[in-house]
Amino acid sequence: MRRFKITVNGHSYEVEVEEEGERPASGRQTHAHAPAHAEPPPAEAPVAAVGGPGEQIVAPLPGTVLAVKVTAGQAVESGQVLLVLEAMKMENEIVAPRAGTVHELHARQGQAVNTGDLLLSLT
Amino acid sequence: MDNDRTKDLESRRQRVLAGGGEARQAKQRKQGKWTARQRLGALYDPGTFQELGMFVEHRSTDFGMDQADAPGDGVVTGFGQVDGRLVYAFAQDFTVLGGSLGEMHARKIHVIQDLALKSGAPIIAMADSGGARIQEGIDSLNGYGEIFRRNTMASGVIPQISVIVGPTAGGAVYSPALTDFVLMAEGIGQMYITGPQVIKAVTGEDVTHEALGGAQTHARKSGVAHLTFADETALIAGLKRLLSYLPSNNLAPPPAHPAAEPDARAAAAVEQVVPDDPNKPYDVRQLIFGLADEGSFMELQEAYAQNMVVGFGRLSGRVVAFCANQPRILAGCLDIDASDKLARFVRFADAFHLPIVTLIDTPGYLPGTAQEYGGIIRHGAKVLYAYSEASVAKISVVLRKAYGGAYLAMCSKSLGADLVLALPTAEIAVMGPDGAANIIFRSEIEAARDQDATRKRLVAEYRNRFSSPYVAAARQYVDQVVTAGELRPALVAALWAVGEKSEDRPAKKHGNIPL
Repeated sequence: MRRFKITVNGHSYEVEVEEEGERPASGRQTHAHAPAHAEPPPAEAPVAAVGGPGEQIVAPLPGTVLAVKVTAGQAVESGQVLLVLEAMKMENEIVAPRAGTVHELHARQGQAVNTGDLLLSLT
Repeated sequence: MDNDRTKDLESRRQRVLAGGGEARQAKQRKQGKWTARQRLGALYDPGTFQELGMFVEHRSTDFGMDQADAPGDGVVTGFGQVDGRLVYAFAQDFTVLGGSLGEMHARKIHVIQDLALKSGAPIIAMADSGGARIQEGIDSLNGYGEIFRRNTMASGVIPQISVIVGPTAGGAVYSPALTDFVLMAEGIGQMYITGPQVIKAVTGEDVTHEALGGAQTHARKSGVAHLTFADETALIAGLKRLLSYLPSNNLAPPPAHPAAEPDARAAAAVEQVVPDDPNKPYDVRQLIFGLADEGSFMELQEAYAQNMVVGFGRLSGRVVAFCANQPRILAGCLDIDASDKLARFVRFADAFHLPIVTLIDTPGYLPGTAQEYGGIIRHGAKVLYAYSEASVAKISVVLRKAYGGAYLAMCSKSLGADLVLALPTAEIAVMGPDGAANIIFRSEIEAARDQDATRKRLVAEYRNRFSSPYVAAARQYVDQVVTAGELRPALVAALWAVGEKSEDRPAKKHGNIPL
């Protein structure tokens, strides 16, 4: 995120510019620590900010959406499978990094996605 | 002895033991931090710590330093026993001049670095320091430089472990970076080259100390931290556990442990971990739990480059370095971060003669412009280099997919694996069946009336003929094909057979690993 001050016809405007795919400066810093001997922690979907509310779940690798396991408005638990992404000959499970509600669902079954494409947002 | 002299010694000792005084120590405790001596007390077996350089004083007179009271010059150094073994350590004392590193403070560290190297014993660095002591100028700077040089000289000879339990900024982060393992306490330890204020001034970004350089940041984003802990108690326990896998030096064996069976539940499930269907993900750590002695697997960099799993464990009492592709993350692909993580771990294991057990299930390198532009060629080459260079026992197990360059990279027979085992589910091939069939049978598929059906038939044909362990076994790229249930006894036997093997390398100054 970068801030600019722009003056147009004597009026000064402050604008914020964010590059798509850029991570928010605030980031996520509130992960519970996983103890060394416990069951392995669930795989987390990578997160990127491309505007809009909530946490943006993006494709970790290029592939095809094989199945969407949730609907908009649905409450999900941490570690719950949100969708299955077929990529590199593997049915990759994209799981919720935390408990929340599916805010917007962008991915459709059969859709081809690239790394970093928005799949859904979580609030 | 003269009673007065004894009393004098005692009062001198008490002055140093009090560190920066009650008020500063109370402040330290209020921040949830231990004092330097508390940390060393928790690390060492009771009554074994021998402090060195207790009465060292700085000799700076500039900027009011002649008035500064600095017991021990802000660092506690010495040696003692950890679980009965000789270990050197130093702990910076934040209550004395903010733990800042001046000339004599640094010299105390140099002394025990030299002793640890000469005596072939691990060294622990506990960092809690405001950084360079600015008043001492370039003498302070030189102090850092000489620490870095000693870190480098000791690298590969004695294990060096850094414990980050306070601020560690600027040049101070490079000593930890040069050591073998970095351990951090949550909310207490922070590491960064340029702090939040500088970042704010230069780029305008707002970032907190913890978000910039806290334990979670270095565990998840940068990969700098190998282990993180909720508090200092857990950290010391983890540090002692880590030491239990490490030999004291590159010529010594790791600590002996009685043989143990794997966790009964994990061992019973070992046949079910790797799915027959090559498209189904699974957690490779469940397999490791079923193979390693119960409770012995200690994963490192657990939250970083999770598509690669590395850690220490024991097989029938013997320490091994486990490396494994993780199919549930990024399909188990190799990428830049996973390559760096793996190569560095392999080099540590080789330097200290810890046999390497590699579990292979990878479809290849992660495709994408970000990977190519990021230099996956350079980074991926580190893995090839590290495995080829390693002269320690190398045992590889092909679990499922082992395709192309990624198969070669994961310690194949071609890179010098001593023994290669494979499960019946192994698919060792130049590439996946779909890709291979599309290339080999292109004209046949294009000429067919029903292209999809023809492609499917040819892919199946290719899979049946080539996607198995037996083509590779026919050339003895695979030495043994075993079931998952037979894997642990086969690994224990392999370790017994080649664990002590030796290999020579051509004499050279050093190789040129693609960094």
